[in-house]
Amino acid sequence: MKFLVVIVTAMLSFGVAHSIAEAQPAKQPQATTRVETKISPHMDRVETPAGNKGMALLFWAFAAASVGGALFVVTRRNLIAAVMGMVGSFLGISAIYMMLYAHFLSVVQMLVYAGAIMVLFVFVVMILNRPEDEPVAPSRRIGAGIAGVAILYLVGRLVMMLMKVQPPNPAKAIAAPGLTPEGYDWGSVKAVGTDLFGQGLFPFEAISITLLVAVVGAIAIARPLHEDEPTPTEDERLGIDRTHRDSKP
Amino acid sequence: MNDILFNVGYGHFLVLAAVLFLIGVGGVMVRRNALIILMSVELMLNAANMTLITFARMWGDLSGHTFALIVIAVAAAEASVGLAIVVAVFRGRRNVDVDRLTTLRH
Repeated sequence: MKFLVVIVTAMLSFGVAHSIAEAQPAKQPQATTRVETKISPHMDRVETPAGNKGMALLFWAFAAASVGGALFVVTRRNLIAAVMGMVGSFLGISAIYMMLYAHFLSVVQMLVYAGAIMVLFVFVVMILNRPEDEPVAPSRRIGAGIAGVAILYLVGRLVMMLMKVQPPNPAKAIAAPGLTPEGYDWGSVKAVGTDLFGQGLFPFEAISITLLVAVVGAIAIARPLHEDEPTPTEDERLGIDRTHRDSKP
Repeated sequence: MNDILFNVGYGHFLVLAAVLFLIGVGGVMVRRNALIILMSVELMLNAANMTLITFARMWGDLSGHTFALIVIAVAAAEASVGLAIVVAVFRGRRNVDVDRLTTLRH
């Protein structure tokens, strides 16, 4: 884990330095044309899919953070360690969103996932307060092996297929997205909000009802059932059945 | 090789999303703790979101961002209900091992 952190930090610092160094000469020719119209404040930013070495290093660093965190989640026994791996994964994913010019969603990702949802998970882990015994059931080891082979095959096929994905209009897709038709900066709060409250209005209202139902349902489920009901004995809670053992002579 | 390493294109983002999704699938299939399974589901939702945002950037269409926002809201609702169920199950049975949850009553 420490090794991973050191590698990611080194890649990050090197990538930032590299992308700054490469961004410097690119600023010069823009100075003459900048006078005319309203120019997006992000126009001078380095493009992502254009073969910039510093940007590539940043991409690999954040990809390593997100994939490493995800692997941490599915391999750790300790639940708190798994949640912390999840937080690292979400931070990496949010940085990747930033590279894709989704500034607003990047911040939402950080606030909602790395902030709110992970705090919820930590709370529940603290409530349960039980160390996990064995992550993978012994009877499932063969199934897990088959699943691993299947997943590796799928990864291979997917990588082969997805690496060939070409943008419909390469020149437009490589250039920085400028302004939306409404004149807002692409990926900003205003642009996403205009779209959300325009053609996305019905899903937005549906989401509000879904959240309301979820809140009511969560309270209804997590409430103690009946106070007068006898609390289950320790054997019942653990699912231990002693009747067969006692009936034997 | 150099091209794959230093020429980061849309394919890289899509492959990263696919890898995250498959790690989530593996977690759901292999792990027994209900909390870890919920976290793996969150991971899969995030991978789907990343694909949406990559294609939004690729086509220059902001609808992908809108839909990703809606997916985040649904994920939050799913997490709250799922965790409530986990807490309720734990209260009755003192464990959240999905292999040992064989009955609906407690």
